[in-house]
Amino acid sequence: MRECKIVSRKFELENSFTLEVSKANGGYKTLEKLKEYSPTDIIQIIKDANLRGKGGGGAPAAAKWELMPQNQDNDKSNKPSFLAINCDESEPGTFKDRQIISKDPHLLIEGILITCYAIKAKHAYIYIRGEYYQYQQILQSAIDEAYAAGLLDACDITIHRGAGAYICGEKSALLESMEGKRGHPRLKPKQKEPEWYFDNPTLVNNVETIATVPFIVENGADAYKAYGTEQSPGTLLFAMSGHIEKPGVYEAEFGTSMMEYINHYGGGIKNGKKLKALIPGGVSCGVLNAQEVENLTLDYEALRGIGSSLGTGGMIIMDEDTCMVTALKNILEFYHEESCGQCTPCREGTGWVDKLVGKILDGHGSKEDIDKLLDIADTMNGKTICVFAPSVSTVIVSCIERFRDEFEEAL
Amino acid sequence: MSETVEVIVDKRTFNAEKGTLLIDLLIKEKIKVPYFCYHEALGADGNCRMCMVEIEGQKRPQIACDTFIKEGMEVRSTGENIEKVRTDILELELINHPVDCPTCDQAGECSLQDFYMDYGLHDSKITIPEKVKNLKKIDLGSNVMLDQERCVLCARCTRFTDKITGTHELGIIGRGDHARVSTIPGRKLDNPYAMNVVDLCPVGALTSKDFRFSQRVWFLSTVDSICHGCAKGCNIYIDHNKMKYQDDVIYRFRPRRNDDVNGFFICDEGRLSYKDLQENRQESTLLNTKEISEDEAIQEAKHLMQKHKDNITMVIDANLFTEEIEAILAFAKTINAKVCAPLTVYIDEDFKDDMLKSSNRAANSKTVERLNIDTNEPNHSGLIINFNHPQAFKSEDQIHFLTHKSMEQGLIFPIAAFTENAGTVTNEDGITQKCKKAVDKNSPAPTLIEYLQKVQA
Repeated sequence: MRECKIVSRKFELENSFTLEVSKANGGYKTLEKLKEYSPTDIIQIIKDANLRGKGGGGAPAAAKWELMPQNQDNDKSNKPSFLAINCDESEPGTFKDRQIISKDPHLLIEGILITCYAIKAKHAYIYIRGEYYQYQQILQSAIDEAYAAGLLDACDITIHRGAGAYICGEKSALLESMEGKRGHPRLKPKQKEPEWYFDNPTLVNNVETIATVPFIVENGADAYKAYGTEQSPGTLLFAMSGHIEKPGVYEAEFGTSMMEYINHYGGGIKNGKKLKALIPGGVSCGVLNAQEVENLTLDYEALRGIGSSLGTGGMIIMDEDTCMVTALKNILEFYHEESCGQCTPCREGTGWVDKLVGKILDGHGSKEDIDKLLDIADTMNGKTICVFAPSVSTVIVSCIERFRDEFEEAL
Repeated sequence: MSETVEVIVDKRTFNAEKGTLLIDLLIKEKIKVPYFCYHEALGADGNCRMCMVEIEGQKRPQIACDTFIKEGMEVRSTGENIEKVRTDILELELINHPVDCPTCDQAGECSLQDFYMDYGLHDSKITIPEKVKNLKKIDLGSNVMLDQERCVLCARCTRFTDKITGTHELGIIGRGDHARVSTIPGRKLDNPYAMNVVDLCPVGALTSKDFRFSQRVWFLSTVDSICHGCAKGCNIYIDHNKMKYQDDVIYRFRPRRNDDVNGFFICDEGRLSYKDLQENRQESTLLNTKEISEDEAIQEAKHLMQKHKDNITMVIDANLFTEEIEAILAFAKTINAKVCAPLTVYIDEDFKDDMLKSSNRAANSKTVERLNIDTNEPNHSGLIINFNHPQAFKSEDQIHFLTHKSMEQGLIFPIAAFTENAGTVTNEDGITQKCKKAVDKNSPAPTLIEYLQKVQA
């Protein structure tokens, strides 16, 4: 397995979060190089590198950057542009962004400076989940250091702490929350346009996406594309949790074999047990069984091919002793708690499925209840403003399809 | 720049403005589409997901309130798929709904009930016994009562206080199926238009403290009318009922949509003005506080008019119908009387706001101006014939035609109020509007015009 450290290069260094260590190890080097490029050049490089958003969707990052207005000065409205960094990281099983902001916050700041240059923004916000208090402290001290060193003359960075809602990781809900409102996803625009923060054009990107930018600008698009697959170039901070010997975050290139990754970095399944099920990228992705994982590679296309998705790359590993009904109940409790309550199918559906699985788990269920779960999942799919309810639907369907016998046993 | 394009809905072709909302077209063309959260005054919010339609070329059903009209768009508002989606979503709405229709004031005018009759009518699939419990009797203030359990969280009420009144008293707190409407802690719902949220609420979550438990809505008869609270001329519905062995009573005023005048709303003061209208009514014919018969009174009136011949002034209330004012003018001409309609008494600057309320508290002062009626106060000592004007003026003798007990001395005739009569008024913007006769009293007071005929006979 090829070692590849693009984002996690400085993670292991002592005091890696300080400006001193960062600078001594090549941090902020790209800022010099920035002078050679125009903002559109930077966007072109990102486009050439085919950098895909690392927050879960995997959409090409440059496509969003291109939507930002480049000719603000000529624009009569003269609205300022903003960058919002999504560090809500609320997807269960995902804990990669916190590694970046606590181990190498200056890499993120560097990425922010490049991105703000490219989209002509003078102010970036980092929306960080409220629970990340200690990581926020580290990030804030790094920002303070950067201010003191005069690095942030061209661009301000402000941390905005969330109040602990899952849905605020959805970009439009994140902006609503930043505007001081309830974190409710907005209706999607009908044409391609940027996001809007107080009616100003805004780019929302994940922490890791922005942290990857310095490498690409420094080494060129081809250096990034040297990793990964044709369609999913580069690397991702994949993570493992659950029944695994060495849970944690380990960067790997796209296209790596899933089993090889689990065995190499994770040291295999805990206590030598057998793998039973795996959720590939945070709980919103469809559950896979051991057989499916066998020959799977870690890239967007491979996972989409089997009806799941790569998501954030945070794998949840479940061994042979896991009760899948209990596992599903656990996930549904989370969704029940976290549905923002805006759309009817999600608001009422998440509670219903949670209670139904609870009923099955308590031994009061019937065969009809299992089919009813699938029926509700169908109702919840594709009928809401955001993808929260469809994710719940995917989890239920994938779980029942693969482990129906366990549900029937629980009756 | 508007461009008219053709769209097909259920195989019928319609013309619609490009870029406008599909749901507006469906509502305008009376194509049945269920919705809770959409409201033409509040715009789309897209949360209830009931207004799903199928659009040719789209894989999944789309909500009509977030679909913009495009050239050649093909829409299906019916069909097996759509019916199933609507039924399923309705079922979700009902999971935590208390279904307490028998004690709910909204029953009979509830969207949830209506949609159930249209799309539900099935055996419930819900097998979980417990529902989410919430508070059922919250006094929000301004006569608005909240039942959180009945709420479908369409957010119309919160959007009303955010977008229309800008007072922001209401919000939704909690997430998921624990989300509920509430006032901001420590605050009450307190604005002059607050009770409109009761009309906006599609279900029984927000009810009027003033109206609730007084009548079942299906017993009420509804009549179109115009509020007489000020010169704005807001369009209203009068809901009244004559219960067995009892008199015909008005139970509420509700706003009636008129985009040229009041839009969708009315002020709370106008809404509650029906109460004053029914209280303290002038019911008997009096001569200096002594009750006399109508015939005697008419003879007395004729006598007084003869006595003060050529020294008579008629004072007109600017709330009377145009037809009544014109009849008074014609009558004045025949007996050579002066006519005036003093208007300053109606001016109330404290009442005025920048939404609907006007500082001019007379419903028909525009007609007084149009007919060039003298607006100065009467100035002589002969006979004053007062047609319901609120002010008392000095004179030797007085005849009053009154809807309410406001005068004590002189000859007093009781007349029908505007709700018991039909006619037109012209609002401050010059828009002439019709009031239909709503109430039919057991012993109705004659209308002004009927009296004028009797007095002249």
